[in-house]
Parts: sequence; C-alpha cells; structure tokens
Amino acid sequence: MDIELSDADLVRQIGLGKGRDAEAELFRRMAPRVRLYGLRHLRDEQAAQDLTQQVLITTLEALRAGRLREPEKLASFVLGACRMTVLDLRRGAQRKARLLEQFGADLLAPVEWSPPHLDHAQLTRCMQSLKERDRSVVVMTFYEEQASTDVARFLGVSEASVRVIRHRAIHQLRECMGVAA
Amino acid sequence: MSCASPIDAAVLAEYWLAALAGSEEEAVELHLLNCDPCGARLREVIALAEGVRTIAREGSLRLVISDAFLKRAAADGLRIREYAPPAGGGVQCTVTAEDDFLIARLAADLTGAKRVDLCLCDERGFEQRRMPDIPVHLAAGNIVYQESITSAKAFPTSTIILRLVSIDESGGERVLGEYTFNHTRSMPGPGTWLPAT
Repeated sequence: MDIELSDADLVRQIGLGKGRDAEAELFRRMAPRVRLYGLRHLRDEQAAQDLTQQVLITTLEALRAGRLREPEKLASFVLGACRMTVLDLRRGAQRKARLLEQFGADLLAPVEWSPPHLDHAQLTRCMQSLKERDRSVVVMTFYEEQASTDVARFLGVSEASVRVIRHRAIHQLRECMGVAA
Repeated sequence: MSCASPIDAAVLAEYWLAALAGSEEEAVELHLLNCDPCGARLREVIALAEGVRTIAREGSLRLVISDAFLKRAAADGLRIREYAPPAGGGVQCTVTAEDDFLIARLAADLTGAKRVDLCLCDERGFEQRRMPDIPVHLAAGNIVYQESITSAKAFPTSTIILRLVSIDESGGERVLGEYTFNHTRSMPGPGTWLPAT
C-alpha cells in the first residue's frame, strides 16, 4: 500500500473497485479521527468505538457504490455521517452485528488508542505555578465543568476575559509540561 | 505529515469543552477529519484536561475554589473537611487519613476590594507565603480556600494563621480578616513541613 496516497486518491481507488488495501488504509487513517469526534460528542470510549465502526461502514458503503462524487470532500461526508450516527446511537439503534458480518470483523477491528502519558507530579507543579486566578479558572473549567458564563459570574469579569485567562493558562501548562504551546 | 494551519491548543480545549460556536465547531471538526497533527494535539489537550481533573480530585492543590467545586467533590463521593472560623477568631482543627479535601471558609467583607491577597503566616503572624490577587466573588462574603491535603496530612501539630488583605491602587494594604487554625496532628508519625510545590 502506498502510504503517500492522499485521502482523495484512496477514495478514487475504492470507487474503482481496486480492492481491500485502499479500504484498509482509509480505515487506518480515518478511524482515529472519527474516534476523537466520538469521544467529544459521546464522552465514552466504547460508544466512540461503536461510532467509529458505524461511520466507516457507512463511508465504505458509499465509496464502494461511487456515491461520493467529489473525493476531496471526504471529510465533509464523514462529518455528516458522524452526526447522523451520533443521532442513531442516541436513539439506541443497533445494526452493529449485521454490519460486522457484512464487512468483516478483521477490517473493522477496534483501533487501540492510549492517551499521551502525563507526569502528574509535574502537572501538579505546573498547576501550582499558575497565577492564582488562572489556576482557579482551569479547575473550574476542567473539574467543575462550569461554563464560561458561570466562571465569569464567579470572578466578576466578562466571558471574554475568562477565555483569555483560560487560553493563557493552557499555553502555560503545555509549555511547563514540555509540549509545544 | 505537517499542518499548514494548525489549530491552537486553547481552541481545541474549547472544542473539547463544547464551548465553541456552531460554525467554529464545524470548521474545527472538518479540519480534524483531515489532519492528524491537530488530532494528536487534541489528544494532548484531552490528556491535560483529564490530568487536571485527576489532580483536582486528589485535593493536592492550594487554591481558591467556588462552592460549585465542593458540590462536585461531594457528588464524586469525596470527603470534605471544612473549617469556618470567624474573622479575628480561631478554630481547633485536624485532618485524618480518610479526608480528601481540607477547606477553610474565610468570612470577610469584600465590598470594594480591587485586589485581595491571601497570606499564610506562622503562629507569630509572620508571613511565610502569599497568594497574590486571588479570585474573589465579591457578593459571596467569604473566600473558600483549599489547602493541599497532601501537605496537611504531613503537618506537625502547630498554629497557622491565614490573613486576607486588600491591596489598593497605590499598593497599600488593609487587613480584611485574620483566621487562626490550631492544628492538632492526628495522623501517625511526627509530622513535617513539606516544601511548597
């Protein structure tokens, strides 16, 4: 498999019926991306995995049938499939077993993903190095899961100020943790 | 593979928090479905967010918190030990192995305060550490301070004074309140002062 092929090239190959390698490569590329979408919208690893399989099945179905006329618009197509599938999952629709049988469990094997390692002792030091206000905003945001409006009300500042504080703090934390800001 | 127009990590954090406007969210999602470097950055942001949540749950940070924090911690089943001495007063206190959070609720009239500092002092009132410009909810009438539970569990029996001061525009200080915590160690061992992180 030529890994230099673009996503659009892979779409064309699949549309021309040029086999399973192109499908496998497209799956390998797209699965982690779709999974992130799933994590963001479903907040659950297993649900994100289910979403990934269903979206990519839908996508491969469409590509095999030549229904994606503009290969460069693959991302738009996949995004649309993600949205529809999230709605389906939320309605509890389960077609998984039938589709796995149709497309093969080997092609659709779960994509393993481990979150990047994080040194918690270092993160604690980095958190403690933030300005008092910034540290509180970070905790209110990520632990309390408060909306910007609530954080702004607590601090007596505008939502825009909360956003500025949060951006500054995230950059400082990333820098302190040794990742590019 | 590189990205010609990488999405800022802070914007990705807002995406993760569902805090972006609809059109901005759609643009980010389309980009992420085309771009692995930005996807990797989003994973780093998610890990950072999860790390912050973990650290916050451990109670090991020193910071000013809101009541929403305490509600969240209680909902998580965490054990909170809270003391609320009056301004100018004191309280007998301790911390046990079962405690997850140690909280001091400091009542003060914060009306008109532009900047408030929290000073941690020894038993003689000498300042040992200062937290400048702490976040203040003026209408609340109190400050909720979380001491690091890790440090507190190591404290020897001792007296600690917390002092709230307001700072005016010329840098002048006015004491808003002093609060004395007479800590009795109830954990095994002699106790020691941990270095501040």
